[in-house]
Amino acid sequence: MVSEAVVDAPSCIAITGLDTFAGKRLALRLLARPRPPVIVGLDLRRPWRLEGRIRFHRVDLTSPDAGSRLAELLVRERADAVVHAAFRRDPTPDVDYDHELETIGSLHVLNACAAAKVSRLVWLSSSMLYGPRPDNPNFLSESHPLRGHPDAHGVRNRVEAEGLVESWRRRHPDAGVTVLRSCWAMGPTYDDRVVRHFASPVVPTLLGYDPLLQFVHEEDLLDVIERAVLEGHPGVYNVVGRGVLPLSTLLSLAGKRSLPLAPALFYRIGRWNAERVTGDPPAAFYDYLRWLWVADGERGWDAFGEPAYSTREAWISFVSSRRMRRYR
Amino acid sequence: MESGENGHDDADLDDVRRALAALRDEVHARLAGRAASGAAPAWEDLFERARRSLSTLGMVERSGEVDEFGMDEVVLQRASRVFDFLMDTWWRVETTGLDTNAPPLPSLFVANASGLLPWDGIMIAHAVARARRDAQRPRFLVADWLMTLPFVQPRLARVGGVRACRENAERLLRSGRSVISFPEGVKGSTKSFRERYRLKRFGRGGAVRTALHMGVPLVPVAVIGAEETQPVLFRMTSVARLAGLPFVPVTPTFPWLGPLGLLPLPARWHLRFGAPLDLGALDPAAADDELVIARLTEDLRERLQAMLHEGLREREGIFA
Repeated sequence: MVSEAVVDAPSCIAITGLDTFAGKRLALRLLARPRPPVIVGLDLRRPWRLEGRIRFHRVDLTSPDAGSRLAELLVRERADAVVHAAFRRDPTPDVDYDHELETIGSLHVLNACAAAKVSRLVWLSSSMLYGPRPDNPNFLSESHPLRGHPDAHGVRNRVEAEGLVESWRRRHPDAGVTVLRSCWAMGPTYDDRVVRHFASPVVPTLLGYDPLLQFVHEEDLLDVIERAVLEGHPGVYNVVGRGVLPLSTLLSLAGKRSLPLAPALFYRIGRWNAERVTGDPPAAFYDYLRWLWVADGERGWDAFGEPAYSTREAWISFVSSRRMRRYR
Repeated sequence: MESGENGHDDADLDDVRRALAALRDEVHARLAGRAASGAAPAWEDLFERARRSLSTLGMVERSGEVDEFGMDEVVLQRASRVFDFLMDTWWRVETTGLDTNAPPLPSLFVANASGLLPWDGIMIAHAVARARRDAQRPRFLVADWLMTLPFVQPRLARVGGVRACRENAERLLRSGRSVISFPEGVKGSTKSFRERYRLKRFGRGGAVRTALHMGVPLVPVAVIGAEETQPVLFRMTSVARLAGLPFVPVTPTFPWLGPLGLLPLPARWHLRFGAPLDLGALDPAAADDELVIARLTEDLRERLQAMLHEGLREREGIFA
């Protein structure tokens, strides 16, 4: 939890992508504060839990006039901080739409922030952007180039978007920009493709590979986002839990069975199905279970404090919550 | 409602009792089932064991914890028995220079590369770990292509292998762990039998740069004998390209004897630890001076080459 007295906390916070996990949960956290800021929610849909407690505006980031409309809204609401969370949770087969939303949508948000002279911008990114590579060092620092994955269109879009942020930050040196690159999140309520992959009792893995993985607990991630928007920590930070564990150890901790698949064969056979579900060939996801892409969290821990959950604890929190779910 | 307050409670209680009885029966049934499955057909058991060893890559017994570079104490402890055998019986490794001019730890050990598999790195790490039980186990750097090989990579990581790159070496040294590097790189481990014990170029001076930057001494280690354990007669590159390897070695035993041919020959080994080369007197800013780096790297190479020549002269025979 972020301490109550924060000097220089923004009085009005706009959240793009309100109806995402981070957007919704951040809004609820901010509303629960003793003196809650005004929250402007921007999305296509209004989350019902936030009905009447925030100022919601329907904005379509893929429309050509999204930039000017957003700028107008930000000025009218006097928003002094923007949290950009309007990214796809999972890649979809609609590759063009994903690109419009994630890359061009990001451009609209940046243009609007410039026009409205927003003083604080929090950008939700991912350590997946470093890319799983055989030639990665064991720990990737924030200054490591974002090499992404050539097949993963979602990752590609967000690498492009981060390039836009970087050039925007250079053109607007007085705005505080925080880029949070979080690793895979785990916890009782978080849900995405990665979580679903690990939720099944038999987990497909790649034969002969046993990479080290790291996780961040959902509450730790939200803590960091909340602190970034309230306190302002300009810079780029990896948001990860402490410790790493091999994939095989994770699965045996959870009492799950692994289904080792030979990559050369599986990447060919699985292509059709994977493209139907995510728009990418299997390598786009499974290479993250093949090579190293562990991020170095030291800088983030220094700035935002020690995470409450380690990689192992985040994993166990996820596993135990799923176990109970069967008995509901 | 027909039943009064009390009747309602009784009905509820009955429900609970019945549910508990059912649960107890199920537990008994499952326990009985498990006891019976102890005598299950052997093939089922065999299949389960095969599946487990396949998914754990043969490392069935391991701890639930690895360090940040993936080293597993339990796997290492089990492997240590094999390393002890290799060191004392198979290669009869003789170690000099570890007690007389004991290198301060952490240091950056620099050795001649030999053979495809990093047995030299494992043996140096094992020798240092056995001599200096007070310090953290040194970690050996492994060439890229080996660290990306399926099945090989996870095993090497569990016993202390780390991908050779500057970031990894500096992180290890910063946390007080010594590093064993082979600056010749792939060129060194793929040299043929004719070129044995002739050092190749030391990369681009990464070892010296790292030592300067981290302020640790460089310790040259001459590994004598290892270059005869897997003598490469010539290399097959066309077949190798198909398999994604840099080359396939042709040795007196490989590929003729199949995987058995990969077994290293029992040549007698000698690990000579040289006097530590302290770069402390130098300005750390020298780490940015390319000419200084190049000169120091060449110095280091010559010193190691001299140690190799001396060791070869003193040697009585390859296997003796």
